[in-house]
Amino acid sequence: MLRIRALAKRYEGPRPRTVLAGIDFDLAAGEYVAVMGESGIGKSTLLNLIAGLDRPDAGSIELEGRDLARLDDDALTVLRRARMGFVFQAFHILPYLSVAENVALPLVLLGAAAGEGRARVDAMLSEVGLNGRAASRPSELSGGELQRVAIARALVHRPALVLADEPTGNLDPDSAAQVLALLRDAVKGNNGAAILVTHSRAAAATADRVYTLTAAGLRAGGARD
Amino acid sequence: MTEESIGRSFAAGIVGVLAILASCAAVAAPEYAEVRPGVALVFPRDDGAHPAYRTEWWYITGWARDRSGRELGVQVTFFRNRPGVAEANPSAFAPRQLLFAHAAVADALHGRLRHDQRAARAGFGLAGAAEGLTDIAIGDWSLRATDRGYAARIPAQGFTLDLAFRVTQPPLLQGAGGYSRKGPAPAQASYYYSRPHLAVSGTVTIDGAPIAVEGEAWLDREWSSEYLSPEAEGWDWAGINLADGGALMAFRIRDRHGGTLWAGGTLRRGDGTVRTFAPHEIAFTPLRSWRSPRTDADYPVAMGVRAGDIELRLESLMDDQELDSRATVGTVYWEGAVRATGGGRTLGRGYLELTGYWRPLKL
Amino acid sequence: MAHVPAPRLRGTLRATAGALAGHKGRVLVTIVAIALGVALGYAVQLVNRVAVNEFGQAVQTLSGTADLAMRGPRGGFDEHLFGEIARLPEVAAASPIVEVEARIPGRDDALRVLGLDVFRAGLIQPGLVPEAAESLDTLRDDTIFLNAAAMDWLGARTGDLVPMQVGTQVIRLRVAGSVPAEGHAQPLAVMDIAGAQWRLARIGRLTRIEVRARPGADVAALERRVAAMLPPGVAVERPAAAIESTLRLSRAYRVNLNVLALVALFTGGLLVFSTQALTVVRRRPYLALLRVLGVTRGGLVGLLLVEASAIGAIGALAGLLGGYGLAQLVLEIVGPDLGSGFFRGLAARATFEAAPAALFFALGVATALFGSLAAASEAARTEPAQALRAGDEERAFGRLAPTAPGIGFIALGALLTAAPPVRGLPIFGYVAIACLLVGTILLIAHIARAAFRRMPVGRNPPARLAVLQLRGAPGQATVSLAAIVASVSLLVSMAIMVASFRQSLDAWLEHVLPADLYVRAGRTGDTAFLPPDVQQAIAALPGVRRVEFLRSERLLLDPERPQIVLLARAIDATTAPLRLPLVRSADLPAGGAPPAWVSEIAADVYGLAVGQEIVLPIAGRRVRFRVAGVWRDYARQQGAVVIERALYAELTGDRDANDAAIYLEPHASPDAVIRALRARIPGAAELETALPSEIRRRSLKIFDRTFAVTYALEAAALAIGLMSLSSSFGALVLARRREFGVLRHLGLTRTQVGAMLATEGAIVSALGLAVGTALGWVISLILIHVVNRQSFHWSMDLHVPWTSLAAFTATMLALASLTALVSGRQAMGAGVLRAVKEDW
Repeated sequence: MLRIRALAKRYEGPRPRTVLAGIDFDLAAGEYVAVMGESGIGKSTLLNLIAGLDRPDAGSIELEGRDLARLDDDALTVLRRARMGFVFQAFHILPYLSVAENVALPLVLLGAAAGEGRARVDAMLSEVGLNGRAASRPSELSGGELQRVAIARALVHRPALVLADEPTGNLDPDSAAQVLALLRDAVKGNNGAAILVTHSRAAAATADRVYTLTAAGLRAGGARD
Repeated sequence: MTEESIGRSFAAGIVGVLAILASCAAVAAPEYAEVRPGVALVFPRDDGAHPAYRTEWWYITGWARDRSGRELGVQVTFFRNRPGVAEANPSAFAPRQLLFAHAAVADALHGRLRHDQRAARAGFGLAGAAEGLTDIAIGDWSLRATDRGYAARIPAQGFTLDLAFRVTQPPLLQGAGGYSRKGPAPAQASYYYSRPHLAVSGTVTIDGAPIAVEGEAWLDREWSSEYLSPEAEGWDWAGINLADGGALMAFRIRDRHGGTLWAGGTLRRGDGTVRTFAPHEIAFTPLRSWRSPRTDADYPVAMGVRAGDIELRLESLMDDQELDSRATVGTVYWEGAVRATGGGRTLGRGYLELTGYWRPLKL
Repeated sequence: MAHVPAPRLRGTLRATAGALAGHKGRVLVTIVAIALGVALGYAVQLVNRVAVNEFGQAVQTLSGTADLAMRGPRGGFDEHLFGEIARLPEVAAASPIVEVEARIPGRDDALRVLGLDVFRAGLIQPGLVPEAAESLDTLRDDTIFLNAAAMDWLGARTGDLVPMQVGTQVIRLRVAGSVPAEGHAQPLAVMDIAGAQWRLARIGRLTRIEVRARPGADVAALERRVAAMLPPGVAVERPAAAIESTLRLSRAYRVNLNVLALVALFTGGLLVFSTQALTVVRRRPYLALLRVLGVTRGGLVGLLLVEASAIGAIGALAGLLGGYGLAQLVLEIVGPDLGSGFFRGLAARATFEAAPAALFFALGVATALFGSLAAASEAARTEPAQALRAGDEERAFGRLAPTAPGIGFIALGALLTAAPPVRGLPIFGYVAIACLLVGTILLIAHIARAAFRRMPVGRNPPARLAVLQLRGAPGQATVSLAAIVASVSLLVSMAIMVASFRQSLDAWLEHVLPADLYVRAGRTGDTAFLPPDVQQAIAALPGVRRVEFLRSERLLLDPERPQIVLLARAIDATTAPLRLPLVRSADLPAGGAPPAWVSEIAADVYGLAVGQEIVLPIAGRRVRFRVAGVWRDYARQQGAVVIERALYAELTGDRDANDAAIYLEPHASPDAVIRALRARIPGAAELETALPSEIRRRSLKIFDRTFAVTYALEAAALAIGLMSLSSSFGALVLARRREFGVLRHLGLTRTQVGAMLATEGAIVSALGLAVGTALGWVISLILIHVVNRQSFHWSMDLHVPWTSLAAFTATMLALASLTALVSGRQAMGAGVLRAVKEDW
């Protein structure tokens, strides 16, 4: 489903540096993998490149057989809108929308019919255990709850690929465990693929496979202790 | 408002009117009356104003004494001038007749003249010189005939004169029966008479303190349409009430080089007989001069005067009797009380007038 | 702040300054806004001060050291009064004056000529004594002396001849020297009083007598004594009173300008409020962190206020400099009367003045402080822990807009519109406007919430998101809204007021100019007139059906006020409605006092009602009239009264006229009549002829010039409004960068984010424009019916300039959307994507 070959990214500027080089990576549908690595090694850059939010300097990324390099920004945006879901460390639930409206956002962007959307949102909310909180404001929710809203939003439109960047970085261990379990169940339930970028060994342990990003490239296996 | 600034504004208001008198010559000539010989003066008609002539004055100078014997020189002068403008203007303000007045008190204790001046156009009953009798006024300054002579009331800056002048002698007609030549041309002449030995009584108020005074004064009355010859620089004049009841008037008109352009004089002896002097019989000899610290003009404040066989030495009551009348008639001159001595004795008292020492006089 | 240890405070300040530096653009805009308000206010103040000083100095030169002055109608009074006054024992000096506004052929302005007695003027007004090379020239009746301004104006030098129109003839006077007239910046000429009386047709008349009392005299007693001697229509006053009475004429205009300056400052304050509120809200977590680190509540407020006052001080300082420059520019281009025509001919330079500078500096700083006070206290009140949480901003905005005071202000404003003027000034009218404005701004959050709630949510994702964002966070929009409402309402109200005035003026001109052709002896000055023979000749011209002649004079009804204009013309009860734009009238019983029609201004100022008796001092007599009607008059600010010309001629013996209104035969052409006039009437070369259309055009031009300052202030209000808008949008967009980042992640294209922002901008502006226009309309009613009525006594009909308002609204809407879009673009760089990683 996702196929990455010889991917490289270099940042120009006063202190040019190579962040990624020679990355080869394959992800099949339904696979749930974790990527670990030191801070600043390029984990988020890798996610941005996969999401089409940034352009590689070399190499190719194919999502469901489409070469991202051949798509312009709008096409990438549409692809992202339809086929991807995101979970952020800082939740990023829009404060001025209710919980349900936040979750419905991808469907709104995809132009789903209101009735169908409502049912799907309700289903999603009950899946993450927030049945009663649809009308709540984000400011009334705890961190763990917010991240569950985020998971619901990331999966409401049944994306092929979910990208989660340190989803538990802002959570206590109990909430983190709940959220990770929820994320895994949701992704698996949707038969989608997911890449989980994390520092946490515990978080990585929930994945099917673990990769470590180093200066030399992406290699299978957990980070060395 | 300070005294000085009042003076300044006053000066600004009426500066250079003497120049007005002078520039009359240049005006497309109005019909001024002419001074001719052989015209008899008639009194009191000729005490009054003669508005048909260009220039006219009432000039009183005298000595006054208070009970303690303090001596003051006193001057009250009114000028009338017909500038020859606006003669056809129907406005009640038309400046056909202008009036000026000077008043001064010489007080040896004070060391210099106290003087003040007024100027106005005739009209509205506020300023005017009547015809037919002495009645001349500018605002509250006045000189009027009384049944025994004249009365002057002059409330001025720093002093007030309230004086009566009693006539004691008949008028003294100057020149040929009142026709007084001032230069080589017959037209350069004036009608001129004097009233010597006027008995003065009244009050001089200086700085608010009234002083009762008595004394003796001299009135000059003169009117003309053409007075000075163009070459004239100024004149020296003296009018002395002699102690014996006689009176001497002598004048000379100086040219631009200090020489004498014209001269004249009249002596009336104590017995009433009159002698008129020819120009060559009059001589003025400066004896001592004083320089004004204000104008740097040198005035011969002690003067030898010879008239025929009479020789007088005139000594000023005080040196600084300079009178700054730039604000009204536009000149600075010396008009001072003098003692006349001869042979070591005081022979009389009177006034010496020195003009043209500051700048050549224009009239 | 004393309890905050100094080093920590310094550190905090440094940190805050750093934070401010990050908002450079916004801080700059705020400084500019304050500078603009201060500059406008200070400039108006300086220019006005110059006008007052100049005018005062001119009066000082003219009155010199006088203790009292007597003045009467424009045409003067009998000169015999002078002799009586001068003879009073308490009078030290009296200076008679005949003052004439001499018409100079070919010039638009008349020359002020003073006929003086130099001997007397020298005692009281030494500055007016001419400097002549030939001193006798000061007494001649064919000479004139000019001050420097008059020499410049006429381009004349000593020796030149100056032509003047007297009646329909032209006389020529020789310039024989100069007049110092220190401090008199207007053109001024002096000549001998006798010459002036004779040559300028004022024989037997004086216009003024200046009197100095004797030292020690009781001036008040002298004033009473003199007053008892004066004929009707002549008054005695202290010279300073002349300054007062003339300044009173322009006072309302000045106050209005000052209010406009304050409005600019107010708008600036609003901008400070919006900027400061946004920066404070945006820095909430940071400020909360300072609290966590140990800065006290008071310390935080102090910190924010110091910050605001620094901004205020910089802005105010820049404003003072700008105001000084502006004043100089205005003086050079428009003149110290700001184009109002109250002090004709004054020319001057502004001088720096400390007191008003300090005042406006303080106003500028106070505005900034006041603007930031709400935000600062809000920041201080918030519990730090709460502020550190995301999504708390909205709560903060909610607190910035209380409800009850808003309704209270509006109610108070409505009540105050009924209040009477204070000392002739519409103080309560202004306060009412301020109340309405403040009340509306306080309520704007509620209005916005209600409006957004009722707004349909479309299906188009950007529009849908825009509406949802506004609904969910109306607070952020209210700051922008407040700025828009303030500037739009002020601008709209001014636009409606000016349009109503202009429309009413146009209609009025149409009414007062019914004839086909007008002939004037001279537009300016009072030496030009049409003598009876010329009047007959005009009436006899071929093509002329009928001529109405008008005589104008000025009468002194009240020494505290300027002279009123008396217009004598062919009029009676039947023709009055046709001749005059009557607003009220009544049928008077026959056989009573003759009718007089007073202008609205005269009716207001002198408290005259229809049917009431009015006594006019005409020709030194008190003549009774009855007010038959009140008419609208925009031309004579000092008030005017119309009487029958036949009666006037009978009372005064004056059969001259100033103007002729000519009605033509149906076939006659105005041009032919003008040609015939020029050909057949002696002296007609100097007569001015005008078609009603020309007079109308000229009048409207003068109107537009007068309101030029108003337009400038409107433009300033608009500029501030737009700046405010872009500043608040910019701030909002910056504050929402993370949100845009998330939306981009979720699949919104750049264009869609832009469209969302533009939609938000358009919705907010549309609401702001709607509320602002509605409020502006209400304020315009107050301006027209309260402020104008009370300060100028002019009534006018409401006229809403729909077309220009629509154009303005459309422009504002487009600009606002564009501003939002541009702000969005700037915020949409690559940083947006990284912003999702930022925690705060």
